[in-house]
Amino acid sequence: MENFNVNRIDKEDISVLYISGFLDAHTAPELEEAIQKLIDGQRYKLVINFKDLSYISSAGLGVFMGFIEQIREHSGDIKMSNMTPKIFRVFDLLGFPTLYDIVEDETLAIIKFRS
Amino acid sequence: MKEISKLSLLLPLALLIAAVVQDVNMLSNSEHSITSIYIREYFIIFALILSLPLIYKQKWASDRNVLRGLRSLFFLILFTCFLLIMSNDLLNTFYDHVFTKNKLYENAGNYFFLLAWTFFSTIFVLITLGSLRNLIYIKRKKATARNFTWLMIFLLLYPLFSLPESFKYMNWLSNNWLDKFRYVILFILINLMVVNSFRVAWINYLNKKQKLACFWGGFFLVPIQLYFAFKFHELNPVEIFSPVLGKFVDTSIILLTIYVVIAFLALLAHLPTAQLYDRKIRQISSLHHLSRAVSSEFDIEKLVVTIVKLAIEVTEADFSWLELLDQKSGELQLASSQNLRDAEMKSRKPSFTDPLSLWLKNNKDPFLNNQVNKSQVAKNLCKWKKDLNSLLAVPLIMGDEIIGFLYAGKKVEFGFEYDDADMLRAFCEQAVVAVENTRLVEESIVKERLEQELKIAHEAQMKLLPKDMPRLPDIELDAVCITANEVGGDYYDFFQIDKNRLGVVIGDVSGKGPSAAFYMAEVKGIMEALAKANQTPKNLLVPTNATLYRNFDRNTFISMIYGIIDVKRKVFSFCRAGHCPVLMLKPDEEKCELLEPKGLGLGLDAGILFEKTLQQVDMPLQEGYIYLLYTDGVTEARNRLGEEFGEERLAQVFTAAKDLSAYEIKKRIIHEIYTFFDGENATDDMTFIVIKALNNKKKI
Repeated sequence: MENFNVNRIDKEDISVLYISGFLDAHTAPELEEAIQKLIDGQRYKLVINFKDLSYISSAGLGVFMGFIEQIREHSGDIKMSNMTPKIFRVFDLLGFPTLYDIVEDETLAIIKFRS
Repeated sequence: MKEISKLSLLLPLALLIAAVVQDVNMLSNSEHSITSIYIREYFIIFALILSLPLIYKQKWASDRNVLRGLRSLFFLILFTCFLLIMSNDLLNTFYDHVFTKNKLYENAGNYFFLLAWTFFSTIFVLITLGSLRNLIYIKRKKATARNFTWLMIFLLLYPLFSLPESFKYMNWLSNNWLDKFRYVILFILINLMVVNSFRVAWINYLNKKQKLACFWGGFFLVPIQLYFAFKFHELNPVEIFSPVLGKFVDTSIILLTIYVVIAFLALLAHLPTAQLYDRKIRQISSLHHLSRAVSSEFDIEKLVVTIVKLAIEVTEADFSWLELLDQKSGELQLASSQNLRDAEMKSRKPSFTDPLSLWLKNNKDPFLNNQVNKSQVAKNLCKWKKDLNSLLAVPLIMGDEIIGFLYAGKKVEFGFEYDDADMLRAFCEQAVVAVENTRLVEESIVKERLEQELKIAHEAQMKLLPKDMPRLPDIELDAVCITANEVGGDYYDFFQIDKNRLGVVIGDVSGKGPSAAFYMAEVKGIMEALAKANQTPKNLLVPTNATLYRNFDRNTFISMIYGIIDVKRKVFSFCRAGHCPVLMLKPDEEKCELLEPKGLGLGLDAGILFEKTLQQVDMPLQEGYIYLLYTDGVTEARNRLGEEFGEERLAQVFTAAKDLSAYEIKKRIIHEIYTFFDGENATDDMTFIVIKALNNKKKI
């Protein structure tokens, strides 16, 4: 089993989470914890950078669903960026692009937050 | 046997009564021959010998209740001594005159008074000898019983050979020889007395309090016993009645005195070490308790309480606390404490970087400081606990790893000794084993529970899947769900809407395990209820989504394809709610098509967006059309190299098998997947449904 990792970089009021490895039912709690920490710290503007993620399962997708309502209530958002075609395919099949802002690049996501 | 032994006690009584009857005869006619006196004496000696087994049957002062036996003995001696003093004047009158046998028979009152004394003191001696025997037998060795029996034998022999002058001529030996022989016996007897008197092991059984009680008892008893022994020797009422018996009683009382004095002296010698001895015993019993706890207590919460409680017992500390490494957080935590104030418990922040923790970690030895206020290492600890003056801290080491620290503290300075440190270290070694055991057991319990949950989830999933394939005219249907070890949440089902139409559903619940199986059941229930009333796939999925959205956790959703096979219209209409695309093979075409109408997964959106996005497509189901519905478990199946099976490979296998029946297509795909796995196990459920419209002409 490959590992999963979350790294966080704060850019002013926006937090970027760099996720890498395998995101499945076993590793999902790690991501949940990382996002919960941000919410506890009242940081509601999130960019998830998928550049190094090699696999995502439905449980991994569920993590974002679990938080999105709460985050949007606080006029924040989860924007996703840098997905590989394979990861994007998973999101696309489920119809996530209609629910989330999925952009090509992290900077683009930040610009979208600013505007 | 018991009855025989009871009878054996009647015999000496009978002999004594015979002697008394003879005496009463003499009382009346005051005529007494030497022979009759001999016979009488022989009777009494026999009676004495026969009653000796009494000594061996005493229950007093056995090693289970030494103290009770001692107390009884103490009061018995006091009482007898009191009686002797009370009878002093009367007994003295017998000695005012020169003793003769005649005196005994002068009047009946004197006779019975002496007889009573004889009975009483003989019984007294038998009881005390029995008690002595029990005391001597405590922690008996091989020679103990032998020595005691020899003592009894010589105790009997000595009176026989030391008869008063008037009886000596009854012996065949000359006086000179007799005297020599008597001294030899006396010498051996005294030796035996001393040897037996040094058997005072019962003192070891007493704790400090009991030793003190015995000391005060002995303090009174020794002078009283000495006085009693001298007084008895001087007055000896029994000797008037029977010289042999009198000598026996007298010697026995001397033996009792020697024993009492030696035991008292031994007790004196034990007193200074009583406290230390007690402490050692307590420490050993605490260790014993702990080792019992090790093997019986598997609840870590209870175990830590026991450890701290016993640590206080071992070191006699005022307070103690245990800090353990929490395996999840990797931090040190206060696991249990005793006699700490609430505020202290809250304010304690254990850490591996504290100087004392570092000291313990580096030295792996107990830390002992009897003036801890002056110690630099424990500075932080003293700030936290103000009334701490003596500190003993021991690291808990498992292998090479430190898993915690055990602290014991006293309010006074110089409270601990170095052997306390050694003791607590040994104690901690046991504690580590105990902690390790509980953790292992806990792990195995968790593992077992997970396995049980898996099994239940698996069974639930199996029950939710349809048991038989529905039959439709001109349509071949086949489906399979290959479950992973861990329930993956795959689901398929069929709903007969009417005689021409069949609802087909394939879905994948997000998440795994029991909760996935539970959601699956929910989906099945909702769809079963709604299937007949809603005649198109979209009409069914919209209310299904709304219901699921209300009931699901926000992070749970289902991807699904719901289609309706209409045999009459020859149409397969379906909606794709976030699921994998449908593979379609048209007749006479070499490449399959990927059908991917738009649609969100169920449970992701409250309804408006879902309804707006969801597209329904109506596909032909003329002869030769084949459809393959599958879950992501199939395309995401990974082999040893981490390669995925993938959509393309699936499409290839599917296309290649197009001329086969639905059942054989299914078998072919399964075969290809397992070939691809090459021994690897599936990590997710794999499900697919094959729908094949039959060639009518062929069939006819």
